[in-house]
Amino acid sequence: MRTSTLLARNLTWYWRTNLAVLLGVSTAVGVLGGALLVGDSVRSSLRDLVLERLGNTDLVISRKGFFREELASAFGSACPMIAIDGVVAQEPSGRRARGIEIYGVDERFWRFQAQPGEPPRDQQALLSAALERELGVKAGDSILIRVEKPSAIPLESLHGRKEDVGKTIRLRVTGAAFHEFSLEPKQGDVRAMLVPLARLQRYLDQQGKVNTILLANRGASSGPIERTLKDHYTLEDLGLRLRLLEKQRCLSLETDSTLISDDLAGTAAATAKSLGLGAEPVLTYLANSIRVGGREIPYSVVTALDSPPAPAEADGITLNQWAARELRAKPGDAVSLDYYVWKSDGRLHTDSAQFRLARVVPLKGTAADQEFAPKYPGITESESLHDWDPPFPLDLSRIRPIDEQYWKQYRTTPKAFVPLARGQQLWGTRFGRLTSIRIFPPSEAYGKELRAAVDPAKMGLTVFAVRARGLEAARGATDFGEYFIYFSFFLMVSALLLTGLFFKLGVEQRMHEIGVLRALGFSMPRLRAIFLLEGAFLAAPGAVLGMGAALAYGGLIMLGLRTWWIDAVGTRLLSLHASIASLAVGAAAGMVTALGSIAWTLRGLHPVTPRSLLAGVERRKPGRRSLLVGTITALMAVALLAAALARKLDQTAGFFGAGTLLLIAALSFESAWLNSRSWAPVGGQITLGLRSATYRPGRSILCVTLIASATFLIVSLDAFRRQGTSTGTGGFPLMAESVLPLIHDPDTAIGREALNIPPLEGVKFVPFRLRPGDDASCLNLYQPRNPRILAPPAAFLGSARFPFQDSVARTANPWLLLESEPSDPVIPAIADANSMTYALHLKLGEEFVLDQTRFRIVAALRDSLFQGELLISEKNFLRLFPDVEGYRFFLLDVPPARAQELTGVLEAALADYGFGIQPTEARLAGFHKVENTYLSTFRNLGALGLVLGTVGLGAVLLRNVLERRRELALLRAVGYLPRHLAAMVLAENVLLLLLGLTTGTLCALLAIAPAVSLRGGHLPAVSLSLLLVAVLVTGVAASLAATASALRSPLLEALRSE
Amino acid sequence: MLEVSNVSKVYPTPRGPLTVLSGISLSLKRGDAVAIMGPSGAGKSTLLYILGALEQPTAGTVTLDGRNPAQLAEKQLAAFRNQLIGFIFQDHCLLPQCSVLENVLIPTLVANDHAGYPARARELIQQVGLTDRLDHRPAELSGGEKQRVALARALIRKPLLLLCDEPTGNLDQASADVVASLLLELHQRQETILVVVTHNAELASRFPVRYELSHANLHPAGT
Repeated sequence: MRTSTLLARNLTWYWRTNLAVLLGVSTAVGVLGGALLVGDSVRSSLRDLVLERLGNTDLVISRKGFFREELASAFGSACPMIAIDGVVAQEPSGRRARGIEIYGVDERFWRFQAQPGEPPRDQQALLSAALERELGVKAGDSILIRVEKPSAIPLESLHGRKEDVGKTIRLRVTGAAFHEFSLEPKQGDVRAMLVPLARLQRYLDQQGKVNTILLANRGASSGPIERTLKDHYTLEDLGLRLRLLEKQRCLSLETDSTLISDDLAGTAAATAKSLGLGAEPVLTYLANSIRVGGREIPYSVVTALDSPPAPAEADGITLNQWAARELRAKPGDAVSLDYYVWKSDGRLHTDSAQFRLARVVPLKGTAADQEFAPKYPGITESESLHDWDPPFPLDLSRIRPIDEQYWKQYRTTPKAFVPLARGQQLWGTRFGRLTSIRIFPPSEAYGKELRAAVDPAKMGLTVFAVRARGLEAARGATDFGEYFIYFSFFLMVSALLLTGLFFKLGVEQRMHEIGVLRALGFSMPRLRAIFLLEGAFLAAPGAVLGMGAALAYGGLIMLGLRTWWIDAVGTRLLSLHASIASLAVGAAAGMVTALGSIAWTLRGLHPVTPRSLLAGVERRKPGRRSLLVGTITALMAVALLAAALARKLDQTAGFFGAGTLLLIAALSFESAWLNSRSWAPVGGQITLGLRSATYRPGRSILCVTLIASATFLIVSLDAFRRQGTSTGTGGFPLMAESVLPLIHDPDTAIGREALNIPPLEGVKFVPFRLRPGDDASCLNLYQPRNPRILAPPAAFLGSARFPFQDSVARTANPWLLLESEPSDPVIPAIADANSMTYALHLKLGEEFVLDQTRFRIVAALRDSLFQGELLISEKNFLRLFPDVEGYRFFLLDVPPARAQELTGVLEAALADYGFGIQPTEARLAGFHKVENTYLSTFRNLGALGLVLGTVGLGAVLLRNVLERRRELALLRAVGYLPRHLAAMVLAENVLLLLLGLTTGTLCALLAIAPAVSLRGGHLPAVSLSLLLVAVLVTGVAASLAATASALRSPLLEALRSE
Repeated sequence: MLEVSNVSKVYPTPRGPLTVLSGISLSLKRGDAVAIMGPSGAGKSTLLYILGALEQPTAGTVTLDGRNPAQLAEKQLAAFRNQLIGFIFQDHCLLPQCSVLENVLIPTLVANDHAGYPARARELIQQVGLTDRLDHRPAELSGGEKQRVALARALIRKPLLLLCDEPTGNLDQASADVVASLLLELHQRQETILVVVTHNAELASRFPVRYELSHANLHPAGT
């Protein structure tokens, strides 16, 4: 006989108890491994979606504007295309789909993706299955797509065409298969369509041009591609041109946008300087009037220069002879210029500037140069002033024959010259402060040098490692593995407690045996080692079994995410991906924790004397120690609660800390009570049953712990559930987004007229600027690397709407922090508290870098509708993103009763802009749905833990009943009926259940009080009560089953002494 | 009166029926005390359980105080045992979570009458010499003390029939003597019908009537 033989005998003899321990270990391993598998599966599914939708695309060259299609031929495997967002409508039904990815492609796309199929031709359009479903269209149906019309001239400049921002194209749906393609990482369905490239180019007036090139790079870095791009791009690809002005003996650097940014101006000047060339910056503008006294000239070109004929005096102006004559002006006269300025508030302003006439120049030489003005569509090519078709109001009645005569003879020759600095001060915009730069003398080298000096990326022609970014984003905003470990935590703890409990039961069952072994000379460490070895022998197969359970559990959760909990993930495209590593980690961790749990059970054996063991007596904890532990932990809990209420402590830390301490305190007091003798005298079967709870206080407390912990979790989670109504709407009943930007302010009468919005009483728009990007809300599973950025108007900041959870500075209106001017160049930003924490993984006051700009979160909104984006001031927005024009996000203050009616009116009026309105509460409800689904998931898995707790309770009861079979038999012998015994067992069970439920509920209510008082929430009394009653009923049923099982066995056998 | 008439007990086994008791008859009146002896497996306990209405005979009848428990429904049978029969087992079967006093009072919890039991319990505890252990729990008592508590518990309802299954089997000689003396003393004081099943010849010798159970039947001891 050796120890190993004893071990083998023990394992087989106590096989029932050992099986229970083994199952407990496998449950713990299954839950832990399954949770890890969920994390792997979500990540892998997101990754698969990215890879499947990108096809062979590794990199993308793109630009906001268009560039030559031939640029693609410089790269090995490349596919030029147009990628643009738009609105698609089915004509007969009027059904619309907004935010659709529209790709203009030809056969090169199919070759590039190495897919069989035919490209759409003529009027054909291939729709993704999801888009077909959304629109309810079928092959042959006619559809209209509306996309933003490319405009090289900034829409928010004077010459931008603000009322004509879109283009509508009629197409016909073809039934050909569309292999899903998308450049955007998103977990939902692809809402996209493919249209013939040539047709799209024609409609957009961009023949031979594209805005995107797909590149296959076989996983190599983007460096070589960037070098190839640098070698092959032309100035034209960046919207630049160098024009030789022979008469002026210079080169004129101009842009398609008619404006030269400061960056480009600096590079152009530096390049000229490096070649020993001169550079003359030019800014030309249109004045509505040049006035001297009561006389005026309408619609005149004015040029700002740093050299003559512009005057040197800061407030000086030079008029040409024609203008001076018409105005009868002489040097020293006061000259007024009236001119339009399109300001960032979405309105056209007429400003005026005062000058003093410095000199009058004859119409010759530089003063007679027609080439100062850039080409303005609708103006410069017109034959007469009356033919002008500018994008701003023009009073033709002011135009005199003599003005027409000037136009005919001198065209865009400036009538006045002002100093460049003054001109830039008056007419400079965020897009640029020059209209051209003249390089003297003309040099062929200049073009080459400039091309070499310009960084295409700075000009918007960038190379995106779209695959790498997609895969990075596929790591997810949320680590589902981590979440489901949290979610399954109580399930896991329950399984481990059960493992420990079953092991403890097994040990207690063998107390007499342990006593005998100790009496025979086995030391306690040796006995513990034997038991631990037994535990290890059980844990190992348990872990192997648990890996199977992990696959099942992971599969079940993935099924849940695709079905019952779809609101949390918003996609049915997630599937189980088994990872050996996760299974192994789950198995190892489960085994270790199970052994820990067993070791913890064994530690209690040590102080029991062999005589006690032989007598089967359990050591009782001294009540005083439990009371002391309870008192200390209760005091600590109170301190944490107070700190959390006073906002000196993080709410989450307060909740978990106080909750855990409260539970420990309550369980310690209960332990002291169960170990004490301060019990009511036995007066009937019920009190006798209640007294049974003290039979094995350790077991009873373990049961109470299981139930209290799970109840604590369920109650506290339910209290955090969000309701549909919230202050997070800021009091705005509606919100809207448009696919095409609105350049005019829809909150002004002029803006509404320009936008064709009918007069509407009681409707107030708050337009926001929007830089498109990744959705930073919980609706996006991908990690937002480049979050959407919103900029509210300055007036909105002052209105102090929307509640804040916290801010870096104590202020009544944290919105104003956006306008603060920090000493370091960091942009203050506001985020929703949830997005900040869970999607962006930032804390208040933390900085992050986006496109080489540093941002700092200065305030966190509480449960707001801005969960998908960051907010910065409009001033900073315009500075950082000058190319992002107009308003695309709106909050609408409307009478709530008319919200539905106004939604219809406004969507119809702004249909061309792809204007979609949503009730703000629906938006919030969408977020709450996700949050609540997570909470439901957590709660359901917590409830599963509760079920395990109840099972544990049932097992303990059964064990207790079996151990007391002789007592019960005696009671039967002395006249007790089965119902008396059932009542006794039931009373004990109900006591433990109620202790667990009330302990968990009360501790949860106390622990969540600070968080609920600060962030809101409510207690769903009805559903919670039903759940707790269900648990009670289940527990009672379990105890009845235990009793019935015990009573079914012949009691007489228990009484026999032989 | 306890009337046992032609009681047989046969257990079905895989090897055929096993007759444990065969045609046993016995008649005892209030105040009688009988010791039944026999080797292990002779059927002593089976007879005791049949007498105590814990088990039904295969044939024959048992009547106590003129009532045949075999004809009683479960509820009446439980009340019958509670009221008329007291049990003492080799293993005391005390409830570990209850004090001495509470253990003694256990049978009264399902009694129809509740008059004066606590006082009687104290009196019985005094009679078994455990007044100073009233609030102690079984784990704090010696084996003999536990059995004395079991004796007090068996007598709390003033049973007509007191059945003891090896009452001193787990006790040392001194404790066994004390328990045996108490058993006989209280039996006499309460005028119960006492039936003791035991291996212990010394205990049996203290009984005026002794039987030997062998070959499935009762024989007067020594014959």
